[in-house]
Amino acid sequence: MPEEVVITGMGMISSLGLSIEENWRNICEGKSGVQRITLFDPSGCATQIAAQVPPEFEEVSKTWIRKRAAGQMTRVTRMCVTAAKMAVADSGIHFDTVDKSRCSVIMGVVSTGNSTAERDTTLQNTVLKSMTNSMAAWISLEYQLTGPAFSVNTACASSAYAIALGCDMIRNQKADVVIVGGADSIINREEIQGFNALYAISVANDPPESASKPFSFDRDGFVIGEGAGVLVLESRKNAINRKAHIYAHIAGYAITSEGYNIMAPMTGGEGMSNTMRLALEDAGISPEDVDYINAHGTSTELNDRYETMAIKTLFGKRAFQIPVSSSKSMLGHTIGAAGAIEAIITALSLQNGIIPPTINYQNPDPDLDLDYVPNIARPKNIRVALSNSFGFGGHNATIVLKK
Amino acid sequence: MAKITENTRNEVKEIVYNFFAEECEVDKSKINDGTFIIKDLDGDSLMFLELIEIFKKKYNLEIELKVIGKYSVKHPVATIGQLIDMQMLIIEHENRLLDLDIKS
Repeated sequence: MPEEVVITGMGMISSLGLSIEENWRNICEGKSGVQRITLFDPSGCATQIAAQVPPEFEEVSKTWIRKRAAGQMTRVTRMCVTAAKMAVADSGIHFDTVDKSRCSVIMGVVSTGNSTAERDTTLQNTVLKSMTNSMAAWISLEYQLTGPAFSVNTACASSAYAIALGCDMIRNQKADVVIVGGADSIINREEIQGFNALYAISVANDPPESASKPFSFDRDGFVIGEGAGVLVLESRKNAINRKAHIYAHIAGYAITSEGYNIMAPMTGGEGMSNTMRLALEDAGISPEDVDYINAHGTSTELNDRYETMAIKTLFGKRAFQIPVSSSKSMLGHTIGAAGAIEAIITALSLQNGIIPPTINYQNPDPDLDLDYVPNIARPKNIRVALSNSFGFGGHNATIVLKK
Repeated sequence: MAKITENTRNEVKEIVYNFFAEECEVDKSKINDGTFIIKDLDGDSLMFLELIEIFKKKYNLEIELKVIGKYSVKHPVATIGQLIDMQMLIIEHENRLLDLDIKS
């Protein structure tokens, strides 16, 4: 019998906050974290906005990371390690009381953010800062964990994949505790110009807070965000034994590839629909029982269209009764961190009985006709929720959470 | 071969103590020559390399890292005092550091 997997700790850094509580409060209030870019001078870039982590993060991170170690990390790695330490503290786990060889770390990492804007470093630290395994390594070092620690890169689905893999390790009794999540920041000139060349990101610079408008008629691409989300997963049995707070169960997941296109999702959302269906099958949950979908919802033309079609394909007429919202309307697209951040938000929705809104929903797209929870958070008792993540390259992930 | 004086040793000691106090966020008064770099200060091996760079610049040393690497395999450094001794030898002998082993 596979072990049941539960979430017992969470940490989150984003444009809307430097703690779980601050993030959740701002998300429920429907605030936007998008602003004009200040991390570098964006003059000359078509896109001049992003959802930046507040500068106060630097002071917060100093309370969690030793100065020496911080000097060997990029800003993004510091976000990841800070969120991880917050999650571990939140879980109440004391690693001295558990078998450290059965504790693992899996991080979704697209890059460490060691861009030209950050290369003010000694030569020794250049390599340390660029290693994409560094986030998992630093976390395992911090607690002297000796189970597997590694990173996974599936673009925008990276940290959802990390959750899925961590879930498997616990189900299959390969680990008792797995720290999963991810962090990312691509707010630098090179990445922004690269995404502008693909027409993937919004150029609606003014006002910044209105630029990310998933499922709206006038959506014009995603807004780049940054941040970190980390969750502590453990077996339900373990959590109950140590009387831990359980945020939610991870009832199942699916990770799939579309084998279709390096950038565009499969026409009609076929791959997305398939992923959601497989995740529900894995969880042993009927589509009838789904109360909420935290959508990938990027605010791009294709994603929002195909994700809507995918939901209709899977849920049929019931699709119109399921609230679907996009956290990216507020936080922007945090790329490698998005899967974990949105799983955290979904877990908080289950715990608190509140569905976060899709903000900036002023101009509905007549083709996209689901209930997108427009602009205002909604109270609702949620028993089962899905969190979707779909990455460039056709990497899809759906995580099923339940109370 | 650089001329070593008692003043040089005091200078090196001061730099090493300040470096570890700053990087490891510990009170300088808590550091002594018997302090273990990893066990007591939570230091790391890169600190040794960074100090070598500092002394290379300060004393205009001609020393290749591979020479130091070969020497330190046979003469591992664990404490602050051992580190200072090693830095003194590096300053004094530079690329001829390995000759010390031949002589001994």
